Parts: sequence; C-alpha cells; structure tokens
Amino acid sequence: MWRALPALILTDLRLALRMRTVVFFNYLFPLMFFFAFAEFLDAHGEACAQVAGMVLVIGILGNGLWGAGMRLVQEREANILRRFRVTPISPTPILLASVVTGWLLYLPALALLCALAHWIYGMPLPTRWVSLLVLTSCGIWAFRAIGLIVASVVNGVQESTVLIQLLYMPMLFLGGAAIPVELLPAWAQVAARFVPSYYLVSSMQNALGRGDPSAWYGSEIAAMLLTTGVGLFISRQAFRWEKDDPISPRARWYLAAVLAPFLLLGVWQLATAPPADGARKPSPAERITPPDTPSSADPAAGCAQCPPHRPRFPA
Amino acid sequence: MIYVKELRKQYDGFLAVKGISFEVRPGEVFGLLGPNGAGKTTTVEILEGLRQRSGGEVRVLGFDPAADGLQLKDRIGVCLQQAALPDRLRVREAIALFASFYSRTVPGEALLRRLQLWEKRDTFFMHLSGGQKQRLALALALINDPQLLFLDEPSTGLDAQARLEIRSLIGELRAEKRTLLLTTHYIEEAERLCDRVAIIDEGRIIAMGAPREIQEHTLGASTIELQTGQVLPPGELPAWPGLLRQSRDGSGRGLTIVTTRPAATVMDAVPWLIAHRIELQDIRIRRPSLEDAFIELTGKNLRD
Repeated sequence: MWRALPALILTDLRLALRMRTVVFFNYLFPLMFFFAFAEFLDAHGEACAQVAGMVLVIGILGNGLWGAGMRLVQEREANILRRFRVTPISPTPILLASVVTGWLLYLPALALLCALAHWIYGMPLPTRWVSLLVLTSCGIWAFRAIGLIVASVVNGVQESTVLIQLLYMPMLFLGGAAIPVELLPAWAQVAARFVPSYYLVSSMQNALGRGDPSAWYGSEIAAMLLTTGVGLFISRQAFRWEKDDPISPRARWYLAAVLAPFLLLGVWQLATAPPADGARKPSPAERITPPDTPSSADPAAGCAQCPPHRPRFPA
Repeated sequence: MIYVKELRKQYDGFLAVKGISFEVRPGEVFGLLGPNGAGKTTTVEILEGLRQRSGGEVRVLGFDPAADGLQLKDRIGVCLQQAALPDRLRVREAIALFASFYSRTVPGEALLRRLQLWEKRDTFFMHLSGGQKQRLALALALINDPQLLFLDEPSTGLDAQARLEIRSLIGELRAEKRTLLLTTHYIEEAERLCDRVAIIDEGRIIAMGAPREIQEHTLGASTIELQTGQVLPPGELPAWPGLLRQSRDGSGRGLTIVTTRPAATVMDAVPWLIAHRIELQDIRIRRPSLEDAFIELTGKNLRD
C-alpha cells in the first residue's frame, strides 16, 4: 500500500490539474464568490476576513463533497475501479489518495485568496497561519471523507448529484458559508449549530481576522478529525469497486454516523451558549473586531501593515 | 496452476454456476466458451478473487482466492474485456501507476516496446485506438511478469486488424509457456489459440477437451465438395467409406459428400472420376468446426 499511495496521489493530482472543471471549481469558482461578496458587502480591511472565511469554506465544501463524491462515482461508472480491483491493492490507498489530493489542490487556493484579499481589499495578512492551515486541512479532510461516503452509497452520478446537493445546500446557506449566520432567523441560527460548516466558517473567520487570539479551536478540530476518521473507516467498509456491487441496506445511515460529532457539538454549543432571543446579533465585523481596534464599519481604517485603500461606496 | 472442483455460485436464489470442475495445467492455454449468461465470467471472477463462491473448492497458484485475494492478485495478470483507464492518463503514467501496485515488476520501457506502444508513451489513453488500448491492457496485465494470465474476451469489439495483433501477442505469450485462461466469443480464436477448451452452458460444463476432440466427439462428420468439368454419370453413386449422405447440385457437375472418413473417401473418389473420364476441377473439405460442435451441444449460437 505504501508504494501505491504516492503513485495514486501523483496520478490523482495530474488528472485533476488536466481537468478544466477541477481547476475552475477549486480556484476560479471561490474567487468569483469572493469578489462578488467583497464588492456587494463592501468588505474592506478586517471585514474582508469575514468574506474570505465564508469563501474558503465554500471552496472546502466544493472540494470535499463534489470533488471526492463525484470523482469516485465517475471512476466506478467508467469501470476504472474494476481495473484497479484486479490488482493487489485495497480501497485504503485509493481513499487516502483522494483525501490527500483534495488537500494539496486546495492549499494554493487558500494562499491565493489570502493574497488577493490582502492586496485588493486590504485584509490584514493572517497572523495565525498555523491555526488557519490546521483548520483548512481538517476541513478538507473531513468534507472529503463525507464525499467519499456519498460516493460509496450512491448508484450513479445522478444519485450522487442529488445526495451531494442535499448536503451542500444546508451547509452553504445554514452553516454561514453563503449568508452570515447572524442574518438568519432565530430558528435557523439554532439549526446552524448542527451543521458542520458552521464551525468551520466561524473558526476560519476568527483565524483570518482578529478574533480571540487565545482560541485554539479544539472542539472544532476534534470534531473534524473525528469526522475524517469515521468517514474514512466507513467509506473503506462501504467501498464499491463496481456499480453492480450491492449497497448495504444500512449504508445510507453511515452518513448520519459521520455527522454525529457535529450533532454532539451542536447540542453542547446550545447548552453552553444559546443564541439570544430576538436580539440583534452583532455583525460579522463586530463579532471579530476587539473594541480597541478600528471598526471595520470604517473601511478606510484598516491596519498599519495593510496597504491603504479607498472605499468603493462613500459612507 | 488452477484447480476447480464442484464450484457453485448462487445469486439471490439463482444458481449461476452449478458445480463445475476443471484443471488448468502449467503452460497450458485453456479456453472457456459459452453464450452470455452461461456462467463463464462468474467462474473467472471467482478464480481472480473478485467474487466469493457459494460452494466447492478452488485453488489458483496454490492460493484460495477467497482467503488470499491480495497475495493471489500480486501473482496473476488480468486483462479485462474493456480497457478502462482515466481519459487523460498517459500510457507511461498508467504503466508507472500499475507498477506501484505489485511487489515484483518488469521494466515498463521494455514492455511498451514489446507491445509496440513506446511511440505512444506520452499519448493520453483517450487518444489511443481500440487496438492500442487493448495492447495497453495487456501491458498492464504483464507488468508483474505473471506466470498465470486471465484474458477476458481480449479481442471483442476490435477491428479485424487489431484482433489479429492481439491474437499474435497471445500466441507469443503461449510460446513463452505462460499459463493462460481465456474467455472468448470467437470460436476461431479458441480453435487457434487454446490447447483445451471447456464449453459452459447454463452454469455447467457440457464438453471439455482439445478443440479437435470436442469436434470429433460431437459431430465427427466432414463435408467434401467436388466440382467437375463434365456432368457426373447418371444413376447411383458409389457408397463411399463412412458415407452419411451425398447429393448432386443442379448443374450435375457438383457433388457434396458428408462422411466420417474424409481421407478414405477422397482416395476412392479420385480414381472413380478418372475411370469415368471426368476432370476434377476443385475439391473442398470442410471439417466440423468448434462452432458446429458448440451449436450441436448447446442448441445456441455462441453470441446469443
């Protein structure tokens, strides 16, 4: 297995970079969201960290759910996995290679987005690079693992599309990746606590901006690592080489199992810090900006290290 | 090399393989023939360790495929009917990838040269012709230098030229004394390449042996067609050795003889024609083919 793994990773990387759709969805698609959000929300300076965090999670969700979930299904439908099946490899290196490839493909997107946010919108360069890197990595691994389970429990590309959409949309809109959670109704804010992307969005925004510097995101990282481990184990058990291989009747429940860490995290979060009833929630910028730093409501303020910029729309 | 005894495979109450037994000896080319759904693919997949059997005993290279699947796959080569690889994988990359799966490999360059793919080493899989794809599939099956090769319909779907190329390569593998288990739809392929064949129908082996033995044991009759320069004499024709039936054609200058002793019939027919001052213009002898035997045994065409 250990000889096959680097070869599979290298092959997966080559194939991914030769596909325009992979390049588009990993690099251009998140950037389109980034520029649209940044312009629409006029997010300059530190406020841009909010947008960058959201967009990074959109990229991670796409890379994980669509990247891992679809690729394996397509290879199974094309009988490519059947060809691998007659060789002396188990599903483990194939699954690990998928997770590692997704991670390697996404790291340049992280660097690119931070650099563009800094140069164009004056976002301060993240000071907690390690936290950001760890969160991004854990996010990619966890959502790739979920994507791999999806691939194991569906019959074909169409079914895969439906199931991925069912996971992707709530994570995008309820988890705060597309709409700040603070803008959602109260019931949706409660529901958001059970959505994995919620934890990733909030911790990424904190790591990118100037949230609590002592935060180390232990529970979020633990939940994502647990999801990765459980997800890989389950996708190993449910792995199907050929489309004619039967799907275990319990297989679809495996998805629920892999989301269990976030259900527990949601219960714990609600018990320890329930959202305030009806009260106006702080804006994303307010939430991460300590009182002694310039408010992001004044986009021209920024920080000393950032290049000066002019607000697009005068206040 | 391969030992199969009373092999059975059941799917949801349907018995696809009903207790078949055979052996494949070292250096032998063994063919499995049968119509679609006969059970040959299931049998081969059990031998390759891809499916679990429901009953019976199987040994391949001394391994039980159900228990020692990975060890077995490390030692065998498998060439599937459809060479399936990612479209944008280059030929040399495919060879390198598959080489990483095995504990023992042969140099990829030598393999590509031998299979006439060296010039195509930087070509994407999707840009290869059908024959080149199948040659690549064969190269991947040979990357671990296996002594036992499973070839599943290796020339199906190829054009005549590519089919000839693949058959020629299989002939080379045979000359190297590798053991081959071949499933095929092409009777002439089995007749030409296989030392022994087993005909499978509805999950059972209905005939097994050298292609010629099967032909002789089933039909055993040859057809001799004579074309003469003059009209054959009227009246009763001689009773040739082993004669089953004979008939003249409409012109009176053609004679078809169905006999179990074609050589003796020819030896008698030629002096008989000379004695009647009839010039022999053409003679054709058609021995019963494996396809004839197959149709007689199963009542089906092989491609049904």
